[in-house]
Amino acid sequence: MYIPEWQGTDYKIETFPLPKKVILPMEQHHGGMCEPVVSKGEKVKTGQIIGKSDRFSVAPVHASISGTVTDILPWPEPRGRKVLSVVIESDDKDEWIETAQPDPDFLSRKPSQLLSDLRNSGIIEIGTPAQPLHLKLAPPERPKMYLFLVGIPVLKKVHTLIVSAIDPEPGVYVRRAALHNFPEEILLGIQAVRRISGVNRVVLAISENDPVSPEVLKRFDEAGVELFVASGKYPSALEPILVKQFMGKEIPLPEGNCRDVGVLVQDVVTVYNLLAALREKKPHIERLLTVSGNGISRPRLFIVRIGTPVGEIISYLGGSVSGTGKVIMGGPLMGYAQYSLNVPVTKETYALLLQAEREVHVFSPDPCFNCGACVGVCPTNLLPNELSKYCEFGRFADAERNYVFHCIECGLCAYVCPAKRPMVHLMRYGKSEITARKVSA
Amino acid sequence: MSAQKFHVSMSPHLHTGVAVSTISRNILVALAPTALVGIYYFGWSAVKVLLVCMVVAVACEAGMQRIMGKKITIHDGHALTIGLLLGLMLPSGLPWWAAAVGALIAIVLGKQIYGGLGNNPFNPAAVGWIVLSVSYPGYMNLYQAPRAGLMSFTTSPELADLPLKLVREDLSELLSFPTWELFIGLKAGGIGEVSIAALLLGGLYLILKRVITWHAPVACLGAAWIFCIVFSQIDPEIYAGPSFHLLSGGLVLASFFLATDKGTMPVTVPGMMLAGALVALITMLIRYWGGYVDGVYFAVLLTNAVGPLLDRIRPAVYGRVKEVA
Repeated sequence: MYIPEWQGTDYKIETFPLPKKVILPMEQHHGGMCEPVVSKGEKVKTGQIIGKSDRFSVAPVHASISGTVTDILPWPEPRGRKVLSVVIESDDKDEWIETAQPDPDFLSRKPSQLLSDLRNSGIIEIGTPAQPLHLKLAPPERPKMYLFLVGIPVLKKVHTLIVSAIDPEPGVYVRRAALHNFPEEILLGIQAVRRISGVNRVVLAISENDPVSPEVLKRFDEAGVELFVASGKYPSALEPILVKQFMGKEIPLPEGNCRDVGVLVQDVVTVYNLLAALREKKPHIERLLTVSGNGISRPRLFIVRIGTPVGEIISYLGGSVSGTGKVIMGGPLMGYAQYSLNVPVTKETYALLLQAEREVHVFSPDPCFNCGACVGVCPTNLLPNELSKYCEFGRFADAERNYVFHCIECGLCAYVCPAKRPMVHLMRYGKSEITARKVSA
Repeated sequence: MSAQKFHVSMSPHLHTGVAVSTISRNILVALAPTALVGIYYFGWSAVKVLLVCMVVAVACEAGMQRIMGKKITIHDGHALTIGLLLGLMLPSGLPWWAAAVGALIAIVLGKQIYGGLGNNPFNPAAVGWIVLSVSYPGYMNLYQAPRAGLMSFTTSPELADLPLKLVREDLSELLSFPTWELFIGLKAGGIGEVSIAALLLGGLYLILKRVITWHAPVACLGAAWIFCIVFSQIDPEIYAGPSFHLLSGGLVLASFFLATDKGTMPVTVPGMMLAGALVALITMLIRYWGGYVDGVYFAVLLTNAVGPLLDRIRPAVYGRVKEVA
């Protein structure tokens, strides 16, 4: 379904000034928590590891500014939970820890060395669920440490890499901006991914709505990257939908991923970020962020230090919070509404959206009247009307039998629902109840 | 940092803005030309029937919700659309009290008794029409001959028989109904049934506004057309052809406004197509061999009954792993 966007961005990327304080949650992706390795009162430098875990599936967390650790305590994070976080008060010097020398010749290194650099940089892949990038690029079938250490990861074979420049949600511009601003870097990053994952075909996916400058396309073409123009309908950027459009094959849901059909999908922002980890040997401490909404005349793009509190971004933009009804981290269709301005930008955040009080959509408890609007828009061909009723009235076995776990939570059913039912909420409720029952059984 | 409170909810944070009231408003707009043409042809009697139906429908909705201790939702316009639809299905010569009974039945027995919008298995307007035509067959036969413009307000109404009835009794009557007159509505019939032109206009408006999809109307009219072709080819002495059957009776009204009804009709594409075809099929069975002259509203009701069954034909869910037998 086509969703109108808030136009007017010029893809100019600004660097956000050093925050006065950062909050770094110890859990920034699915799969496990880090242990803080600093203590209260300790001085830290930018890039220093402040949290890590011995588990292969957990990415380390680095200090994103230099300063003093003032607190280690549970703190609200964008998904609405409280997670143990390290709070660092800035000393405004941005003093870096000693890092290894930049390696312009990184492409000649062994894939296993590149992977281990990626793991150490703490870079993650934004997706459902978010996971450390090294797991996505080269997941051992059984995660055993020795496989990783000897550099022989066991892989499901992938033959095609889809580099997606389609933004995940309308009103988010990070991927288009990255492609517009950093084509050369992305091409280098693609080569690194190619080397690590062993793909032989690379495809750049763009959306039919967003023209990309011909020079960029020509450059990609020369580098042997094919072009795939996906439909401009939301949610083309979500992996299962993009893969289906591209090769006509479906990813087995809910457990499967792109690897099962031999494809690797990587967004351009991550490909760009990975270059910093491999070439500059810098840890992942910055993110590209779209900021838009109430009081901000056009969407703006910032490179923000991870851990920057939302309130600091808003006050920097001169935005006043009065009149703002909803603060959303993420896009308008899949983002998370915040109750506090103290939540930090995490590795998963790609957008910050402020909605004015009058723009806030209020869900209604009214019953479904079976109009079928959701059935027509569901990208996974579910019957959201029935599923939402099953979940609402506790018929979880029926919900599961009717594939509630195939729901990718794109939000379209709630977007079109004339009864304004909280569809995504009901689906998530159903899923979590079913999972909880299975665990307790 | 700030003590200000924000809204917190699950995603998504956007909405099309299309609510139940938007859908009702669009349906009312789509029905407006039909209603105006009906008034143009049938004058005060049509105004009376339409007004009584709408007022009684809205009043009954409010009253029922009051009695049942529910939130009063007459502002969503659904009761008004039911009232208007019912009025358009009725003959203009119907006494006002019978119209009121029809609207009352439609809202109370057709909708509210099941729990209101979306919980009713049958189309309320069709329920109202059927109860009236079973209970008061004499009054429900008071179809009037159309008189255009001011004439319809000044001259006293003349009763007339439905073309369907005349043709059923004697096929040579077909000659007295030129296709063009059937199309613009110069014939006896329900207030809103007569002008096929206005109904098509309204239907197209709804499709363009994306309130309904084309599947059910096209399947309905297409199936009726094929059915008539087949039978008029078998024996043109007994069965009238497609152009007559499509342009008379309530088939076009039903295909655009009842077969696409939200809540009582299937929601999947195959379901919608089958439901549309089923409405046409049952209608034609009744018209050719049944006990009633025009069976389209019975057909709608019967299709409503099998609607949930048709919805079981569903599209293949994304990413379903075929179970190994």
